[in-house]
Order: sequence, then structure tokens, then C-alpha cells
Amino acid sequence: MARHQHDPDHLHPRPQLQSWISAPGSKNEVMVSHGRAPWYGPDGKNIEAYVVGIAGGSASGKTSVARAILSALNYIPTVLILSQDSFYNAHTDEEIELAFNNDLDLDHPDAIDSSLFAKCLMDLKQGKATEIPTYSFVHHQRMPEKKYIYGASVIIVEGIMALQSPELRDLYDLKVFVNCDSDLMLARRIKRDVQERGRDVDGILDQYLRFVKSSYDNFVQPSSRYADIIVPGSSNQLAIELLVTHVKRQLDTRSLRFRKMLAQMGDDEAEVQSSKGEEHSDKQVVLLEQTNQLLGLMTILRDRTTSRGDFIFYADRLSTIVVEKALTLIPCQPKTVKTPLGVDYKGTGGDDQLVGVSILRSGGPFSHGLRRVIRDIPIGGMLIQSDPKTGEPLLLKSDLPHSIKSTETSGEVKVLLLDSQMGTGAAAMMAIRVLLDHGVLESNIIFLTYLIAKQAIHSVLRAFPSIHIVTAAIDPGLDEMHIPYNRSTLVLGESAGEADFAVRLIDGDLTTGGLEGEREKVDDQREGVQSEKELGADRFKVPIKREMEELKFSRARERRGDDGAFGEKRAWVISPGMGHIGDRYYM
Amino acid sequence: MSSPTPTTTCLPASGTNVNKAHLPENALVLAPTRQLQSLLTIIRDEKTQRTSDRIIRLLVEEGLNHLPVVPKKVITPVGQEYEGVSFQGRICGVSIMRAGEAMEAGLRDCCRSVRIGKILIQRDEETFQPKLFYAKLPDDISQRFVLLLDPMLATGGSCLKAIEVLIDHGVQEEKILFLNLIASPEGIKNVCTRFPKLRLITAWVDEGLDSNSYIVPGLGDFGDR
Repeated sequence: MARHQHDPDHLHPRPQLQSWISAPGSKNEVMVSHGRAPWYGPDGKNIEAYVVGIAGGSASGKTSVARAILSALNYIPTVLILSQDSFYNAHTDEEIELAFNNDLDLDHPDAIDSSLFAKCLMDLKQGKATEIPTYSFVHHQRMPEKKYIYGASVIIVEGIMALQSPELRDLYDLKVFVNCDSDLMLARRIKRDVQERGRDVDGILDQYLRFVKSSYDNFVQPSSRYADIIVPGSSNQLAIELLVTHVKRQLDTRSLRFRKMLAQMGDDEAEVQSSKGEEHSDKQVVLLEQTNQLLGLMTILRDRTTSRGDFIFYADRLSTIVVEKALTLIPCQPKTVKTPLGVDYKGTGGDDQLVGVSILRSGGPFSHGLRRVIRDIPIGGMLIQSDPKTGEPLLLKSDLPHSIKSTETSGEVKVLLLDSQMGTGAAAMMAIRVLLDHGVLESNIIFLTYLIAKQAIHSVLRAFPSIHIVTAAIDPGLDEMHIPYNRSTLVLGESAGEADFAVRLIDGDLTTGGLEGEREKVDDQREGVQSEKELGADRFKVPIKREMEELKFSRARERRGDDGAFGEKRAWVISPGMGHIGDRYYM
Repeated sequence: MSSPTPTTTCLPASGTNVNKAHLPENALVLAPTRQLQSLLTIIRDEKTQRTSDRIIRLLVEEGLNHLPVVPKKVITPVGQEYEGVSFQGRICGVSIMRAGEAMEAGLRDCCRSVRIGKILIQRDEETFQPKLFYAKLPDDISQRFVLLLDPMLATGGSCLKAIEVLIDHGVQEEKILFLNLIASPEGIKNVCTRFPKLRLITAWVDEGLDSNSYIVPGLGDFGDR
């Protein structure tokens, strides 16, 4: 009896989805198609996810309605289906015995842990990471392991009791009831249970009459009065279309275009600040002491003629210095040890709740420096790339250490967030938002970077005033550039921090057309030892203005439609900057 | 942001490293950050086997800050000019065997292919007088800045001897940077007054010496560990 709601047709995801994060065979799916656009405003506050609750009798067609909504929303990066099945109460031994005899009533509202359900849904709706319980229909029991779920812009909750609990109803943006004729539901149920679960008709009817029918009449059907829309359980094409149109319109009004807003806001702020003469005096920002060595290092790293070997070596060295500086911000506990001479030494002990998280790819050089300093530190990663069309950051993957994923420990963890540079701060804000969503305290986040644009400090600190930023340099300029790219060779997004630095693309001669080829040529020049100087000299003399002219030319050509293979992407460039750090370090 | 004039000032005085109160002007002590204290706690602990790379790297970075630089303009990949500085003067390392050798890896972390010379000086167990056993130094050492590596500065006997050896090889006194992990006030005084132009950089100043001329609380025999 207990398995009667475990619809197997939940198990098949939409085939067009590129990837999805979930254990296969589960009813709760987070689906990710192409990365998650910002789910928060420029103030850093989360925008609530859109929640649809779908209720209806068993075998009424809830799932097909849910799936229809899902496939209509395939442009939404992350859609989550949350099933009521996960939230059955933990059972006592007697209840388990009943369950094995098919005598346990799982169709009663009390069988569901609705307060836990509501708590998890509330977390998800607010954009936080949560851990949902798992319920096993084999053991008829809640299992000890929990499932980590994070990051959905749309949540579809389905279950026969989905509209039952007032706590849950408060969380829905749209309440749907799938209404189906009882005879039809019973017919579907008998067919399904006989064909797919090998049950006999007597057993099915017995169960139906004892629990399912009364539950439907007493609880499920009456809950339809809370629904905004009642959808028929069969021949419902038109109803679903209307439903989907409504959901789409709701979502469109929430979509965000804010990277540009960030840069502009930062500008205004910077002007105000400098007019007051209190430029980045903010004590949240720790600028490394500008010693001769540091300036010398920065000179090497900024120089476009620096060889790759030198760049890697000095980038590693600089990241070590930045990490050491960041660690001085972390408090230590007093600790007394005995020295080999037998004398007590009153010292301090380290903090072992420290983890690193690097924003890929450009945070990579930093994790090397961090490992040099603390060999055994757990380091997680977040892949944040920028959308080539809008320049907005997209979260493609987050792979966080356990201590962050678990809500029990995340409040204690101190995080060193690593990225090689911060241009608009958009990628940084996304990464910080992810950490906060997991319950990391804002004051426990330290952002480490080589280089930061002045504007970014203001945007990031306005949204997250308690984080610390440790940087080796602060640059004054941040310019928007339109960078042409070859559509045929485009791999989704440069890394978002680094979209800011895709300038190497414009090093090449735009009239030749093959940008990718140009890039390779540039690489050759960099690596070719003796030719580098001569070849490089002319190329490097090209003033930035002329490059911009060429860009305009290329854009004009694109508008004329001469070359359909080219698009353009927007990027923010720090100046004087140090170029595309990820490329210079890895390529 | 770019001030290419070399700075030779002392680091900010600390409230917590009480023993560094009155030091000669050419003795510099690292800022007593919490991390530094934790690191020292680790290496002082008699149970610790771990290397002291991190402190050594901090010392080397601080030492390198005392080398001269000249202004240099570069073009960044964005096409903008950046007024930076470029390192001036060649350097080499000289480690006092055997403990000083433990600092070589830290030096190489910061200066990739730096030449490293070696000096073996041992303390005569009867007279406490240092004795030179062996010295192998780069040929052109007289034209270089020398980072002299010795983690423990107790009485300063062996260090004084090593500096004499360097000066005999034509190294200018003001081009010697002595990098040191833990020092006794006596040792600092001995070295810095005898060679006032040399610069001594240490991570921590301890209380003093015991009757065997060991640093207290110290960390034992660095080379052995």
C-alpha cells in the first residue's frame, strides 16, 4: 500500500536538459540547463523563488501537469520538483509493522511532517540551501541520510496533500488542483498497480476503499477550494497552456539585468567617495602594504611582455603573500606548549574551521598559493561564467566542502574566497551569495584577490558590508567593452570575473576573421623566445584607441550583416589591470 | 601607490613581543601578527615535526623588501601604461650549515633560481668559540646582495664568524641581510653593534639565553628537528 504514490513516471527527466543534479530515480530533481543567472538584486538580497503547488488525487495526473510546466520552462536554468513523498514522518516500530502489513494509513494528512516540509520549502524559496529527508518505501521509514538541495528559481511542489497544510499554502505563488473523475483515477490506479507493481485487483481495491477513497473525499478533494486554478486530469492541453503562459509572465517580470547597473552604481558611489576624500578607507578592505617588492611583483604581472613561466611563478608568489595577509585577519585561540627545552611557551593556536573556495577558472592560481600556506585545507570551487550575450554571471556549478554544505557546521566555517581579480564584482557577489545561502556568516567571509577595481569595492560592500577583502592592488578604471567573438568557436562564457579581461581577443587583427587563429598566433609569439621582441614590439604599440576603432568597425560590419558568424560580447575591463589572468596562467 | 624609493624603516613596534623593546636600529622584527604567533607556537611545540616554511617565506619577503628598485613603465595587456618598479641588484643566498639549509626551500619559493652558497661553522663545545670548517660561495658574490640564512640567533658567535667570511670575500656590509627565525636580545646586540650597516630581520625576539647558551623558550636544535 505504501508504495502506491511512487509514480515511476517521475523518473524520466526532460531529454533536452544538458545536466541535472540529483540522484537518478528520485522524485526530487534539481534541473540545470545552462547555468543560473543572478537570483538576487544589486543589494545582494535574494529574490524569492517562484513556487507552484500541485495537489490532486492519486493517479489524477499531477505529474503530467508538473512535467508540462517544466518543459515549458526549459529556458529557466534551475527548476526543482519537490515531492511530498520525502516528507513522510519517521515511524515507530509498531507503525513500521503496520506498514509492512499494508495497514498503515499514509493517505492521512498527519502522515506528513508538514512543519519540516514547510521549513525546507521556506529555505528553498528564500534561495537558501537545504537538506531534505529521504523516505524509503522499502523500509517504510525515514532514512538517516539527508539530501542536499540548492539553487532553484522555480520550485514545483507536488503531492496529494500539497494544498492541505496552511503553512505550505502560504508559500505558494500559484496553487493548482488537478481534478479528475474518481472512476478514472481508480481505473488508472488499477492498471498501473497491476501492470507495473504486480499487485492483484482485490488488494488494490481493498486498499482503495480503506484509505485512498476516504482520504480523497475527506482531505484531498476539499483542499481544491484553496486552488487558484483547477486543471482537469485528462484532455487538459488548453488548461496547461494557460497555466504556463501565466507562469512565464510572472517569471519575466522577475528577470534581472543588473551587471551594468552594478558598474554604474559603483561609479556614482566612487565619485561621491573621492569627493569626500575618503577613498577606500573602509576597514573592510585590506590593501597589502605597497612595498618595493610588491610593486616589483605587480610590475612583472602587469607587463604584457612577461613570459608565461615568469607569470606563473610570480602569480604564485603573490598569492602566497595575499593568503598570509588574509590569515592575519583570523582570530586565534591562546595555547600553551612545552618547547624542547622544557619551558612553557604561551602562544596561540590556529583555527581549523577554515576552508577555501575558489571561483573557477581564475581563482585557480590562488588555490595553489593557499595550499602552499595550509597544505590540508579543504578547497571547494564554484564555476561562474558570464553569459556571452548579457555579460551577466551564471552559476554553472558549485562544489563546496562538506562543512559548508551541512547546515550544522556552516555557521562556524571561515571561508577564504579566491578569485584573481574583481572587475564589476558581479562574480564575487554571486559567489558570496552562494555562501550566504548555505548559512555561512557574512563576517566569516574573506575575499582574496590580486587586483580589484575601485567600483567593485563599493558595489560588493554595499550589498555585503561585513565581508573582508584582501587585495594586492586597487585600480581606478573599469570600462565597458564590446568584444566581438566568433560564434562558431564560442564556448559558453568566459569566466565571469574574467569576462572582464577577454581583451586578448582584440589583440588580433579583426579583419582576418579567424579570431581563434589569431589567439593561437599570439600564444606562439609569447612562447617563441627570440621572435617575441620583434614581433611583439609593433603589435604592442597599437594604442588602445585604435583597437577600439577597429572594434567599432567590426560592429558596424556586423550590423550590415556581412559576416553572420560574428557576435559581440560585453565585458568590463579593469585598467591598467593585468590582463586575462586565467589565460595568462593556464593557456 | 608607486613610491620607488627604498624603505629601510623598522616595522611597526609591537605590544606583544615584549623582548624587542630596545634593539639596535638595523634589527627588524616581523609584525607580531596572530598568525605568526600561531606558527611559532607550532614550531616551538616539542611534538611538532613540521617545517617552518611559512615563517621563512615571510622573512624572505620582508628581507627582499630591503633591496633597491628603480622605476619602470610597462604596458598592461589592456594596453594601458602602468608605472611600476623593477628589481635592482642581484642577490644570492648563503646558508649557515646545517640549520640554515632548512631555510633554502623558503628562499627558493620566492626567488626561483637564486644561487645559494654554504658556510659550515661549528661551535667548539669546550670553548664556545665558533670555528669555520667550510665555505663555498658564488664567485661573483662581491657584486651581490647576500641573504644570510640562519634560523636561530643565540650568542651570535657563529653568525659573526659567517659575516666575517662574507666580508673577506668582498661582500659589502650594507649588502648583507641576515634572516633569522628566533633571536635572543644578546645575539641581536652582538651582531648589530659589531656590523652596524648590516640589516638583521627576525621573526621573534625571545627572552634570553640559558646557562648553555640556548635560546629560551626557543625551539630546541633547529637542524636536528
